[in-house]
Amino acid sequence: MDPLLSFARGPMLQIAIAVFCFGVLWRLLAVFLLRHRRSRSPARHGRLRALIEGALVAGTRSWPHKVFIRRTGYGEALGYGYHLGLFIVILLFAPHIVFFKGIIGVGWPALPSSLINIIAVLTLALLLAVLVRRVSKPVLRMLSNFDDYFSWLLVTATVVTGLMATAHLGGPYHQLLAWHILSVDALLIWFPFGKLMHAFYIFPSRVINGYTLARKGGAS
Amino acid sequence: MKLSDIGVRVEGGGPPGGLGGGAVAILHEVLAMLERLLRTGEEAAIDLRSLPMAPGELDALAAALGQGEVDAVFDGGGRSRVRETAVHGVWWVEHRDPDDEIIASFIEITTVPAILITDPADIRRGIDGLRRRLAQDAAGREERGGQANG
Amino acid sequence: MAEPDETQTVGEVLAAQGISRRSFLKFCAATASMLAMPPLMGRAMAKQLASMRRPSVIYLSFQECTGCLESLTRSFSPTLETLIFNVISLDYDDTLMAAAGEAAEKAKDEAMRKNRGRYLLIVDGAVPMGNGGVYHTAAGRSAEQILREAAKGAAAVVSVGTCAAFGGLPLADPNPTGAVPVSRLVTDKPVVNVSGCPPIPAVITGTLVHYYTQGKLPDLDGHGRPLVFYGNSIHDRCYRRPFYDKGQFAKTFDDEGARNGWCLWELGCKGPVTYNACATLKWNDGTSFPIESGHPCLGCSEPGFWDGGSFYSPLATGKWGRAGEMRPKEVAAIAGPAAGVGALVGAGAAAWARGRRRHSEQDSGGEED
Repeated sequence: MDPLLSFARGPMLQIAIAVFCFGVLWRLLAVFLLRHRRSRSPARHGRLRALIEGALVAGTRSWPHKVFIRRTGYGEALGYGYHLGLFIVILLFAPHIVFFKGIIGVGWPALPSSLINIIAVLTLALLLAVLVRRVSKPVLRMLSNFDDYFSWLLVTATVVTGLMATAHLGGPYHQLLAWHILSVDALLIWFPFGKLMHAFYIFPSRVINGYTLARKGGAS
Repeated sequence: MKLSDIGVRVEGGGPPGGLGGGAVAILHEVLAMLERLLRTGEEAAIDLRSLPMAPGELDALAAALGQGEVDAVFDGGGRSRVRETAVHGVWWVEHRDPDDEIIASFIEITTVPAILITDPADIRRGIDGLRRRLAQDAAGREERGGQANG
Repeated sequence: MAEPDETQTVGEVLAAQGISRRSFLKFCAATASMLAMPPLMGRAMAKQLASMRRPSVIYLSFQECTGCLESLTRSFSPTLETLIFNVISLDYDDTLMAAAGEAAEKAKDEAMRKNRGRYLLIVDGAVPMGNGGVYHTAAGRSAEQILREAAKGAAAVVSVGTCAAFGGLPLADPNPTGAVPVSRLVTDKPVVNVSGCPPIPAVITGTLVHYYTQGKLPDLDGHGRPLVFYGNSIHDRCYRRPFYDKGQFAKTFDDEGARNGWCLWELGCKGPVTYNACATLKWNDGTSFPIESGHPCLGCSEPGFWDGGSFYSPLATGKWGRAGEMRPKEVAAIAGPAAGVGALVGAGAAAWARGRRRHSEQDSGGEED
């Protein structure tokens, strides 16, 4: 077994998963256990109704309001596009399912590999489009920081190395697989410390906002 | 005599669908090698195991070359078959092991494949063997003659 | 073993065995084909081999199971591989030779002296270095000493089997005997690694024949293995590849997929990272190879394959712990404590942040929910 591959899927993966779990729990608790400023206005709705309305808001706020679509629609579509692509490739590709089965003990049916390959290529195209958009729009470029670019890099590297491994292109297979797994390891380690944490924050964050506003009677 | 008793030799024609690209390429190569053989006497061979062929292409190639006048079999560590195809000078050599698995397969462009030619070393053994046989026979006759006489 | 008349050529030995030059030519033609040499090379090979004196070969066995030698010598019917024993003069092999003890050692020393600089040294088994090399001793000397001495006068060294080539099973974790591969100790002579557990007999034969007819070892890959046999991975030549490409995998050893001959990736097949000729040359005179018989490839021709994780753990999963299997329990053992520590740190961070706020704000504190 190639030493790099052995390392990537052995000690490095264990370290990556450990750092990931450590980091995610840290950041989740560090945020959710913070104090909330007490609201001074009387509650308009009961807690349960506020919770339900808040949860609905998380859904309705997931697409720009009509007024803003012209400006932000393209970016939103790109984002949804590659997120969907990533979910499909990560969760419905047979070798990945085998990986998750090792973690949680159960697997699930996979999509045909050829279909996954097509979706992965489309996802890569969208990721590239997203980068182009980020550097070509002046305001966006000014707002972008290391986190933005580095997170993008790790995700894209994972998709690229995954495609190369599946296509057996660019070197001996064990090397390609090693680089793909190392990309995943790097991604797992970086995950809790950058913007990728939005994966855990986004829905709780929207629901909490929705709940808070609903209590005040302001949600819709 | 029935019609079916009349031996018929089919000149190599391809299967109904025509030849695959791989088989055609090989045939072109064979043609070039044959021309060189005639011109300079230089022999050539193609290792059929080294060529990636689609399933059925090998059969199409064999059918295209057809069967010629010579069909020789020799047994040495498994059966080997040497036959001239319908194209003179193009031989199909197939080596099998004792389990009848093919271990090598060649198309040879030559006047006669080397494997059919008897090696001088083997001839020397043949000479020794035959000499021994004749000597034994002579000795045997002498003995019998001696016995008959007395 | 060594013929009484050492001046006999290979051809003369063949004749004495009743093997015709024609049969020998067939053997050479098949071997040339297997070595991917030009098609007419067989003739030159036969001519060259038949006219040379039988080359001397010394075969040393160290930490091995004898599987490699068995692979070469056991056959159900006389095969081409046994013909190689007509070509070489096997002057020492402690498993095959009739002599034993001092007589055998003397024969070896004699052969090494007479053929100094010209004999081929074939080694199977790893060499233990722990505790002064005491874990393999023969005739009062350690394996390391025997190997170094034999290598001094050898023209080249052939490490047969993964143990000799890469350390194999003896070197696997925890390597209690301090086993090392042959190439670690022999650094001043050409060494070729014919790895595999065991190697395919034809690969051993082919390498030897190449050496004798070309006068040098074949082109080698990064691990010192003949490229012609180890240049492709099992995966590259696997007949089940279409199923892999379509994503049709057998999930257990007797499910519908397994019965239909689907890809064995999910059952732990190491074919994609293993380089050997199993998928083309196959085993037992081309009968079959592990995948064709329904078992995933173990990766037995690769360095460290014993420590590469469970044989039944797919390449897609991790290699966790000694057993090398990634299962929920093993993952939880690491993820749990890590998450616990993270939670503590997170709670601590939140508490600290709260404490700071409390000092700087006037309101009575306490939080919403």
